[in-house]
Amino acid sequence: MNAERQTVYRWSFIWSGALVALVGAVLLGVAISQADAWARVSGMLGLSGLGWGGILQTLNALGLTAMRSSAVESVAALPGQRFLFAGAVVWLVGWVLIAGGIRRAPPSSEGPSPAAGAQLYPRLANYRDFYWSTLGAYGGGILLSELVLILLQTFLSNGGGASAEGKGLPPVGAFAISLIAASLVAFVAGFIGASRARRLAMPEATIGVIYLGLPVPVLLSLMERLPDLQVSLGYRLREVTYVAELLGRPVVGYWLVFSLLVLMLVLGINTGFIAAGSGRVDLKLGFELFVARRHVGVFRPSLLLGTLAVLLFGIIPPLIVYGIIRAVEAAVERTRIRALGLEDPLAAASALNRLKLREQSPTMMMTALSVGGVGVGVMSLIIVLSVMSGFEQDLQQKILGAHSHVVVTKYAGHLREYPRLMEQIAKVPGVVGQSPSIDNPVMVLADDEVQGIVLKGIDPETVGTVLDLPQNMLPGGSLENLTHPEKIVPRRSLGGFGLREPEQTEEEFDPIIGRPTKSAEEQALPGIILGRELAAILRVVVGDRVNVISPQGAELGPAGLIPKSRAFRVAGIFYSGMYEYDAKFAYILLSEAQSLFGTEGPSGIELKVADVDDARRIASQVRKELGGYPYNARDWGEIHRNIFSALRLEKLVMGIILSIIIVVAAGLIVATVIMLVLEKRKEISVLKALGVSDGGIVKIFLSEGLQIGLAGGLLGLFSGLAWCFFIEKVGIKLDPSVYYIPALPVKIEPVQTALAVIIAVLVTYLASIYPALKASSVEPVEGLKAE
Amino acid sequence: MSLLSIRNVFKSYFLHGKRIDVLRDVTLEINRGELVSLVGASGAGKSTFLHVLGTLDPPAAGELLFEGRSVFAMNDAEIAEFRNRTIGFVFQSHYLLPEFSALENVAMPALIQRRDRGESYAYARELLERVGLGARVEHRPGELSGGEAQRVALARALVLKPAVLLADEPTGNLDPATGEGIHQLLREVNRDLGITAVVVTHNETLARSMPRRLRLVGGQVTDA
Repeated sequence: MNAERQTVYRWSFIWSGALVALVGAVLLGVAISQADAWARVSGMLGLSGLGWGGILQTLNALGLTAMRSSAVESVAALPGQRFLFAGAVVWLVGWVLIAGGIRRAPPSSEGPSPAAGAQLYPRLANYRDFYWSTLGAYGGGILLSELVLILLQTFLSNGGGASAEGKGLPPVGAFAISLIAASLVAFVAGFIGASRARRLAMPEATIGVIYLGLPVPVLLSLMERLPDLQVSLGYRLREVTYVAELLGRPVVGYWLVFSLLVLMLVLGINTGFIAAGSGRVDLKLGFELFVARRHVGVFRPSLLLGTLAVLLFGIIPPLIVYGIIRAVEAAVERTRIRALGLEDPLAAASALNRLKLREQSPTMMMTALSVGGVGVGVMSLIIVLSVMSGFEQDLQQKILGAHSHVVVTKYAGHLREYPRLMEQIAKVPGVVGQSPSIDNPVMVLADDEVQGIVLKGIDPETVGTVLDLPQNMLPGGSLENLTHPEKIVPRRSLGGFGLREPEQTEEEFDPIIGRPTKSAEEQALPGIILGRELAAILRVVVGDRVNVISPQGAELGPAGLIPKSRAFRVAGIFYSGMYEYDAKFAYILLSEAQSLFGTEGPSGIELKVADVDDARRIASQVRKELGGYPYNARDWGEIHRNIFSALRLEKLVMGIILSIIIVVAAGLIVATVIMLVLEKRKEISVLKALGVSDGGIVKIFLSEGLQIGLAGGLLGLFSGLAWCFFIEKVGIKLDPSVYYIPALPVKIEPVQTALAVIIAVLVTYLASIYPALKASSVEPVEGLKAE
Repeated sequence: MSLLSIRNVFKSYFLHGKRIDVLRDVTLEINRGELVSLVGASGAGKSTFLHVLGTLDPPAAGELLFEGRSVFAMNDAEIAEFRNRTIGFVFQSHYLLPEFSALENVAMPALIQRRDRGESYAYARELLERVGLGARVEHRPGELSGGEAQRVALARALVLKPAVLLADEPTGNLDPATGEGIHQLLREVNRDLGITAVVVTHNETLARSMPRRLRLVGGQVTDA
């Protein structure tokens, strides 16, 4: 048997071959540039990087040939064809040269060993180094999990419009279920694959993930770029893209989910290997935990309390307290020992020895540091995410207070038939309020101040069922003033203080209308409700007069179109707590708005739904109830997608950045467990000699890393929650004129918090895999060599 | 049928990339209840031979049969279990686990087998009393003397009543008087419990006191 099969490289061949191939690639690039075809081939080239391009291209070519052969058609001469052929030839020559540079070494000249012909050690004789079934499990598993995710999401989610399909769950809920199912599939596939091969089988995993796992996310990512793909797949996958778009950048979502599935596969592989790597499935842990607990000793009160103190109060104060305690303890001990020594020197010696034994080993220090590192990571994740959730919730509350949850509009024209529509909409379950409205941008004037705003015509009767406007009214004005403008008390001499002279004479005779008017100050004008900031900008109060100028509904004048102008009296001021709204919104009566804008009906019907998170489904039901086109119903998530997806993306990025702390802590764990492995080499050998299998050793060291992670995660959870409660109860003051919120908002989301801990524990689990495998590969004989 | 049989075993180790053949075509039978000594020059491969016998180190070629069954043909878990149940080791150093008390160390093989903890400790305590260490069960290995530690190690090797006891210079680190105590224990174990024992030793007097003597020379094991 040829025992050695070494390879000899002739580097001159390889380098010149690489150079030639490079020239070929450049020529091919020139050919593509000349044909102006980069856009078309880049997708295929990308797939070629994975090895798929060639296969697809061949299939494509076969299909095209079959089609072309019927209708004989000469292929138009491509520009730069010479470059194409030359490039292809040079490219191939380069690779031939490289191939020529790799040779098998001549057989070794050594003679046969004395064992030649003897029976090979049985396990080596049965050794297999590639398992097709494992490759199938890994590759098929990751592909299947992706398909499960996509299909379940499509099946469970309520769907944007076609409601015959779909189970009607809200998209995020459906996504959670699908993700869990897909993760399970990936995990089980990894478990089965690894337990069949009885090893980690990294080549199979790599091939499986790259060739069967990657195409789906690549395809989804390309969908944005390639219109063809969008047309053929976009409609079918719209539930999937919808969920991904909640993050703002769908591509981020696809790859995040893909990484998660790969992670689950890796976890499955690892678990399968640990459970079955030694030849049989063994999921018991009692003994391994017994040993692991002694090795690291994470769950000691002193370590846990110390780390918790550091997390809660920072490093310096606990360090000072610790120093004081140690100093006092040492003083007391030494005094005691000295007193003991005066009576019995030997008893003193043994007491001194015990004192020394208590000193901690460097691994203990490392363990404490790793626990602290994980704790810091989890704590900061929880605090930051909770504060961001608080901001998001605050924003959502304010946006949804000023805007409706769902808006029904018509593609063209106005909703003259709105009473009938409202009756129909009332039948849809989940709709708790509706109100017709119309809004348009206008300019509002008061004396010298001008402001561009959005003027909204509302129905005071029903607006309270949809918006928080009635609750947001500041005292002094009222919503009822809109319907009864005569009730508004005009401000005459009230705000006088001699600052402003009543301009009565000027307004006595209106030159445009051409008839005398009542005093402008006393005239009963239609009411308008302004936001607090807007009123401040315009320097008006309730009872003041403002002019609204609208480009819409312009009238024909002698010099062309004249924007419509109308006077209103401030009937009330509202304060929503969100600067954008308080400075940019004004409300008038619906009928006034119609006549101002020259429309014959409201532009939309605003709806309030019982469950804000269910708005998307209800919107689609409303759409169905109204019979679809020409009516459309959009939910708040869709209307305000920009701001919410920006927030979510920000939160995600924050989460990822903070997870880096956990990854650094995981690095510490790797170092700690490696140190432990080095420290315990001898013990590992002894345990193996006593009959612990390789899987058992892996379990011991994995659970050591996991204990550190668990302790850190729980401490981080505890201190993070403590900090959140502190921020919530005591509060961190914010400048209200900048943030419009008096104190830092905090919202503890249980799922998100649990996720932070779970991620930390998973990361530490992954981090301990490598050292644990290292530990299991310690040969028993190595550690047992006599010193 | 013999208890252990070694068939055509080859084993080499590598020093600076050079192959050194320590066992060359070793074939040997060991019967149940035998007390065997193995002597040889330092570096002759006595320990290697014992490691192959104890399944700690697989041979390059050849077979190890236990009651007619090929041990190295089994998978990892089965070999580990075989080692756990069938073989007890005593080394030159005691190799006790420093984080555990003497009692826990002795009970360790039973715990590895996932036996009931209380039961294992009770039996371990009994064994420790038998080797004369009933008063020191709660002590850590660091608090035991060399001879005491070696006796704890012996108790650990015997806790599961293995079929075979493999001892690699068990008295190498001990003074002659303490060593003699250990030898006495070994002989008792062989006689009273019927455990087959293979003892590697430098000590010629000890070797001569054993019923069967093996010698390892030039990669070959022969009855001396």
